[in-house]
Parts: sequence; structure tokens; C-alpha cells
Amino acid sequence: MKAVLFLWTSLVMAQATHPDLQGVYQSIRDRATLPGGQKNSGSPAAVALLLDAAKQARAVDLKKDPWKQCQPVGPFRIMAHEQAKIEIVSTNSLIVMLFEDLSHGMFRSIYLKRGHPAKLEPTWLGDSVARWEGDTLVIDTIGLNDQTWLNEEGAQHSDALHLFERIRPVQGGDYLEYKMTADDPKALSKPYTYTRYFKKLDTEIMDDVCEDEH
Amino acid sequence: MPITPPLLQLAFALASAPLIAQQAHTDWTGYYTLANRRDLAATGLQQDFPGEKLNDLIIPHLQPWAKARMEATDGIADDTGQVCLPDGIFRYPSMAGRFLWLEERGRIVLVFENVNTAGVRRIYLDGAHPKNPIPTWNGHSVGRWDGDTLVVDTIGFNDKSWLFGGMEPHTEEAHLTERMRRVGDGKLLEINITVEDRHALTSAYSYNRYYKLQPEGAEMAEDVCNEDPETWKQYRDAALKKQVDRARQVR
Repeated sequence: MKAVLFLWTSLVMAQATHPDLQGVYQSIRDRATLPGGQKNSGSPAAVALLLDAAKQARAVDLKKDPWKQCQPVGPFRIMAHEQAKIEIVSTNSLIVMLFEDLSHGMFRSIYLKRGHPAKLEPTWLGDSVARWEGDTLVIDTIGLNDQTWLNEEGAQHSDALHLFERIRPVQGGDYLEYKMTADDPKALSKPYTYTRYFKKLDTEIMDDVCEDEH
Repeated sequence: MPITPPLLQLAFALASAPLIAQQAHTDWTGYYTLANRRDLAATGLQQDFPGEKLNDLIIPHLQPWAKARMEATDGIADDTGQVCLPDGIFRYPSMAGRFLWLEERGRIVLVFENVNTAGVRRIYLDGAHPKNPIPTWNGHSVGRWDGDTLVVDTIGFNDKSWLFGGMEPHTEEAHLTERMRRVGDGKLLEINITVEDRHALTSAYSYNRYYKLQPEGAEMAEDVCNEDPETWKQYRDAALKKQVDRARQVR
């Protein structure tokens, strides 16, 4: 009986080890402050570029911004977008992140039970794997192609871009604290981190169709 | 053998009922792809009206106005999918063939590989359709279990999509019923699809599609529709020009 009780308790504890992130969330406005004083900080516009990357950004035709062409903009940019609305759906081995802004966000597959493959074909959203550190989901993304921009000012990145995300529930699960760090030794002079807070919503995400801006 | 008092038996039965009901439906989470002949070979099953042949099933059901509209439609310029816009779900159960089946509290979420055009479907298991659903590309879906079959009822479509690649139109009255069950030792998903539309069809049509559950570890690839914005713009400009020309003709 004791053994059964121990097994049951272990199972319950194992399940309770990390939080259930499932739900629909929207990032709070940049001027908003949560009751605990937390607020959004940083922005993709503030990344520090290496000299060559800065020159490249100045020369680029801003009309070719992937955002303006209804293309995916990559995790670094979409997660910082004002009032981004996301839905998280979890399975045992996979977390799927859906975006209301489907054209720019697509959907992300974040794998929980494997590491990055040794050989990666670069893609728009890269290869994302994650693990739990206590109540924090730590996502590691590499294998991004160089088609997306880091911001609307034309900051390019290389295929060496490496993203680190940390997501944890705060305020009793009513909000997610989201920290995104980008590192790219070929484009950034140092890694850059921004923070966003996402409010849990009791609504659905809708289909949002992108129309090109010109 | 001890005899359990009837009241206790009843209490036990009542307490167990929700548990049994929950256990009856296994989790169908996974990655599915349209089953090919090899996948179906040992089962004796086959896809009804496979590929483009589905047009042969649908077209005889079109009302005259719908057939005339179909014949006046340009298969490229009028195809929203060509410019990476949604093109509705009627074409997807039969053709797109790759999706993630995800389950969460009270609903099932289907994410298609062609996410830019097919989008995401949500099937609500604990509710009814809203009284006046806002018309959308993928409509509003509710599901209920009928034994081992998930019966999905979808209404609330807009009238912009086609019933299939033959450019068959439908109206906002379109009604999609899908009966989904696992067959072939649980490795296949059978979807029996019935489409009704009293304003566009003379009668309903039905067909079966089979999807194969991919082994654990198989991953759905990223598929970005708009990889080449220049081609996309050419298509879009051509479509817009055609619409403008038509409007001029009408005037």
C-alpha cells in the first residue's frame, strides 16, 4: 500500500513539477505596468550591430522589409511586436506556439524531447528545442535562415543567429514573463535581451490575414 | 462472493461513468499525412475519388448558377491560395494532407503544414455553434463523440473559397460534417466528409479520406508560402487587374 501511495505521489509531483502554459496570451502595452511593478523593457530596435552589419542596415531598401511583404519575420521580431497575440498548445513532446498574425508569425514547433539535429537546413523559424528549469521553459533556437530582419530599421542577421527564450508564469499564472535574447557573433556586437509580459486571455485567437503595404 | 447493496452499486456506477466516458476516447495527438496506396495496401481501404477525381464527384451536384460561376472562374487569377491568402478548408481534407492533431482542454486544434492557406482549425468539444457566427474561411466547428467516432459539424463559412480545385463555388450556407475515427489498428484516421449547401448544391455529396499517423518523432516541416515576394506580387497584380477589368465590363 505504501509503495502504491509513494508511486502515486511521485506521479502527481512529476506532473506538478512544471506549469501548464496552455492558453491564449497577449503582450501588454509598453506603457503598462503590472501590480508587481513589472513592465516590458527593451526592443529589437535597440540591438547593437557590428560595423559591417550597421553599414548593411543603412544601405538596405526598407521597402523589402519581410514584414511589409507578408513574410514570416522570425521569432525575435514577432514576439516583441506590440500586443502580439499567441496561443500555446502542449503535448508530451512538443509545444506549439500559434500566432494570430499568421502570415508574420506562422506557428512554431518547440521540441521537448530532443536536441538540435547535427545537420540543419536553415529555415525561417529555425529549429527550437526546450527544457524546463523549475517553472521556466527555456527555449533554444538555431538554424535560422538569413531572410528575416531583426527590426524594421533593416538590421540583418546571419545564419549564426542564436535565440534564447525564457518563459515563466507570474502573478499566479495570469501573466507570462517572457525574455528573449539574440546572439549573433557575425552581426551583433553583443547579445541583446528584451522582456515582455503576456496577459492570459479568456478569448480565442482569430485568423488575421496579411495585406501587403504597397 | 459478497453481495453489494443496490444503492452502493448505483453510486459506484455513477461515480465511474465519467471516468469510463473519458477513457473511451484515446488521445489522437500526432502528425498525420494523407495515406497513399502503400499505406492502405494491407487494409483493403482506398481513397474515394482521389486527387483531381474529386471534381467528378462534386460537379454533378452543382446548381446551374454554381456551375456557370465555376466555368467563369479563372483557376489562377481567382485563386486566393496563389497569393498566399487563405483558401478555405474544403480543399484541405482531401488534398493538403499534412497536419498536426493537438488536443487540449475542451477542444482539438488542427495545424496544417500549408498554414498560410489552410490556416488552423479549432474543434470545440464543449459548446454549440454561436447563433450568428461571423463568416470565416474555416468556419466554426463543434465536435461530439458518437462511440469511437468524433463527429465534427462546421458552419459559418464565408463564400470566398472553393469546394475543390475545380473552382466549384459554395455559399455561406455550406455545411460540413466530418465523421472521424481511427482504423487500421489505430494507425489510420478515417474522415468521412459530407458537404451540404442548399443554395449551391442540388444535393449533398460524401467521400472518405484516410490519413496515416506518422511514427513518434516524425516532424511536420516548415512551409512558408510567400518565400518569393516578387512572384507573389505578380500573381496579386494580375488578380487585381482581372477584377478591375471585370468591374469595368459590368459598368
